[in-house]
Amino acid sequence: MSDVRDEPAEDVDEGAGIEEQASVAKEFLEGLLGAFGLEGTVTTEIDGDILIVRVDGDQTEALVGQRGVIMSSVLELGRTVVQRKTFGAPRMRLDIAGYGERRRQALTIYAGNLAEKILADGGEVMLEPMNPADRKVVHDAVAEIDGVRSFSEGEDPNRSVVIAAE
Amino acid sequence: MSEGDIVERVVRYIATEIVDDASSVEVEVVSDGEDSVVIEVRTAKRDMGRVIGRRGRVAKAIRTVAKAAGDEEGLDVQVEFLD
Repeated sequence: MSDVRDEPAEDVDEGAGIEEQASVAKEFLEGLLGAFGLEGTVTTEIDGDILIVRVDGDQTEALVGQRGVIMSSVLELGRTVVQRKTFGAPRMRLDIAGYGERRRQALTIYAGNLAEKILADGGEVMLEPMNPADRKVVHDAVAEIDGVRSFSEGEDPNRSVVIAAE
Repeated sequence: MSEGDIVERVVRYIATEIVDDASSVEVEVVSDGEDSVVIEVRTAKRDMGRVIGRRGRVAKAIRTVAKAAGDEEGLDVQVEFLD
């Protein structure tokens, strides 16, 4: 019997430890800042099985891009490098110049407001297509609220979260 | 510093981090338009798949980051991958 579930997919990490992945990711991002000639600091944090990488410094805003498009690409590259060097597939989150945190807060509030509306009026709402990280934020926000549920529909890059009454 | 230096450095850095055979990576600024550059990236044949990635995801990410590097220098950037 297949176990059908929505994202996030379970990443099975059979490679190097997350500590080593963190140091590879940090090194890659420091090198990238160097190549750009940007000043900034890179820190990593491990939250369970999630590797969180933060890049801070005023100049690092250059690596965010409109709606975080550059940041998403940097994450994709960072993940690729970590995978190649450690043979592990970490769940990785990247925040540059505080953008991710600001976006996470805004999305959480947005999702919460929509969920309240659905609780009051019923029905369901399909959101704009979002990247996996943003969808995860919405799913997490909805999961905190009783009486509503969320799932995703469509294929990337047009995959959208739907929030519905339970 | 000449035109395209940052872009070249950034693309070279990313490419060498991603491939197995870093010594085969060649990054060249082939055309210098007024405000645009074309970057040619060559890797060992067996590394091409890594640089392109599944459904072209890595190549797309490299292009996006290369354009960001171009913005630092006021340049339009195109990246071509060759083996």
